[in-house]
Amino acid sequence: MSPFDPEGRRAVAAALESAVPGSVELGALDYVECLLTAFDHEPPRIWAAPGEWAGPAGDPGPDAPAWLDLGPWERQAWQQRIADWASVYGRVVAGTADEADLRVVHAHACEATYGDPAYGGNRDGAGWARIGFPEPLHPPAGARRR
Amino acid sequence: MTTSDCDVVIIGSGPGGATTAEVLCAAGWSVVVLEKGRNHLVDLEPPHEPLRHFANDEIAALRRHLLGPDPLLEPRTYRRTVEDGERLMVGEVNNLPSTVGGGGVHADAKLPRFREEDFRLLSERGPVEGASVADWPIGYDDLEPHYAAVEQLFGVAGEDGTNPFAAPRSTPYPLPPGDDMPMALVTSAASRRAGLHPYRAPTGVNSVAADGRPACTDCGFCGGYGCPVQAKSDPIAALQRALRSGRCDLRPESYATELVLDASGRRATGVRYLDLREHPEPTVLEVRARRAVVLAAGAFETPRFLLRQGLGGDLVGRYLTYHYQTFTVGLFPAADFPDGTGGERGRSVTHLHDDLVVDSVGLRRAARDAGLPWLRGGVVEHGAGQMPVDEATTYGPGPHHLDAMRDSALRRRMWAFTMQGEDLAQISNRIDLDPSVRDVWGFPAGRVTYAPHRHELAASAYAAPLHEAVMLDAGAEVAFSATSPPQGSLDQHAASSPLGMAPASRHVMGTARMGSDPTDSVVDAGQRLWDVDNVLVCDSSVFVTSAGYNPTLTLVALAHRAAHLLVGE
Repeated sequence: MSPFDPEGRRAVAAALESAVPGSVELGALDYVECLLTAFDHEPPRIWAAPGEWAGPAGDPGPDAPAWLDLGPWERQAWQQRIADWASVYGRVVAGTADEADLRVVHAHACEATYGDPAYGGNRDGAGWARIGFPEPLHPPAGARRR
Repeated sequence: MTTSDCDVVIIGSGPGGATTAEVLCAAGWSVVVLEKGRNHLVDLEPPHEPLRHFANDEIAALRRHLLGPDPLLEPRTYRRTVEDGERLMVGEVNNLPSTVGGGGVHADAKLPRFREEDFRLLSERGPVEGASVADWPIGYDDLEPHYAAVEQLFGVAGEDGTNPFAAPRSTPYPLPPGDDMPMALVTSAASRRAGLHPYRAPTGVNSVAADGRPACTDCGFCGGYGCPVQAKSDPIAALQRALRSGRCDLRPESYATELVLDASGRRATGVRYLDLREHPEPTVLEVRARRAVVLAAGAFETPRFLLRQGLGGDLVGRYLTYHYQTFTVGLFPAADFPDGTGGERGRSVTHLHDDLVVDSVGLRRAARDAGLPWLRGGVVEHGAGQMPVDEATTYGPGPHHLDAMRDSALRRRMWAFTMQGEDLAQISNRIDLDPSVRDVWGFPAGRVTYAPHRHELAASAYAAPLHEAVMLDAGAEVAFSATSPPQGSLDQHAASSPLGMAPASRHVMGTARMGSDPTDSVVDAGQRLWDVDNVLVCDSSVFVTSAGYNPTLTLVALAHRAAHLLVGE
């Protein structure tokens, strides 16, 4: 479920695209939505787990968790951080974002474009491909979460 | 409050704490290791296999604090001098990981030894006005057997006989060096043409399968990341051996808050800590130690812990040193970096040179010009640029962004020398308790007060043009240098460096100085506090000089030595 209504999605997408051209096509809006709704899931979607590739030999681990759990104090910090960022995007939607807000948007656009696809951006590794960055080895491409 | 007993309580599970635990457990002693951070490293249940939580994931490791500490929970503060007021900034200051394995998890495990001179700097070089240059109470010969032992325990990969400035060794490196970074061969060749002496870096990374762990896969995500395949030995190998002895009880999410002392106040009987698995009101627990307590929380957190109780004397937190880092960046033609030859694959650093650590005509001349009696630089690392998210955030927003990323001046086309410059101890450089900023549990935040001595600035000014010339000779189109902390006015200071205004170095040292006299040190030559008999410090807090070399192997060798002294061997 998106935290934004359609108009809000368009405003956030425009801000992300302005910060890093091409980022929205690569999933930057999905990245931001995944981040802001991280606590709608259990474990919260903050740290992607390496997944089944990392299981011990002989144990492919099909039930290996896709996300690492957070400790209770980490949950507190991340709930605070996400609440702050929700306010940032609220100002983006309202057209009242300041310079500090736009630095957050820029950072998220960069993470979405060139970070691990597990977080919702860098769709199919296309962000890496467009700058010639080789697909990381761990996890291998076949095991990388989409 | 509940209690339990053991021979020794160790605070901190990083390289110093892990090594201490291994030695004590091997001697038949029982230990409890209290680690504030969470456990992403090793299964606490037998057979203590790796947890394998780590991936080539920039977002988790570098953007989302997977290895801790989270600055929202544990802020630190920084100012250059007292004239700056109570602080200039609040946030991340020299944050080594707060996690099981400590700083060893994120490090790319360059493990050079110090040289003989490093332990006798006052005797060999003499005093420097405004600095507290001193000899260590032990010499290289005292530590050499422990260097040799921990190189075996950590499986250091290196090459004997190629560094003409290396201290004598009693044993060969246990593993051969790993694969060379292709660009390091280019800058090494140019360094030789300039009269320098590059050599293959000794690293605690498996070059071949060893100790039940695989060889490094050269994935490229090394410095700053947990190793996905545990090719880094530091410190999982030591922790596994301690745990497998059956005498080590490792307790993550355990925040040590207080030493428990007997009625005399000169003997610790245990440690109180918060059980951070509980929220929002963590239970206060106490673990009793029959023999000793070891502080191994690192040179930032160890003095912070002591200062809260007023233990260790007036010098706790003083003589804070880092390495004054001088980065010389070369931007090369893209054609020089065909696929697989840049920093995107391979270890972070495979080559070093030590020429600026040793005395030379050039350094003497630069010292004289600067009005100083002598100058020492530091080990110089030949290394790669950034990973893509870090690089992307360095470029400002806007239409140019994709072109900048494709041009990739700070990743694909970049190669850098990092000089870990010797930082002279000054009594005014310190860690103390911030008067008003607190962590989420209500304890005063650690505050850094730090400004470099002019020795560091002069050594940096000498090194920068020398290394820029080497970069240009290696084929760089452009070469330039920068420092951390940055130089200049406060406005420039804050704005001029993507590394921030505080020192970016994670080499934090000297805040519980070792010595022979309680009036000028915090611990004795056995690393025991002068004022509490059975409390030892086994991290880089005890360093007397910063030496211009990566500190981990030396702090581990010191921990190995102190633990052997403790058990009476």
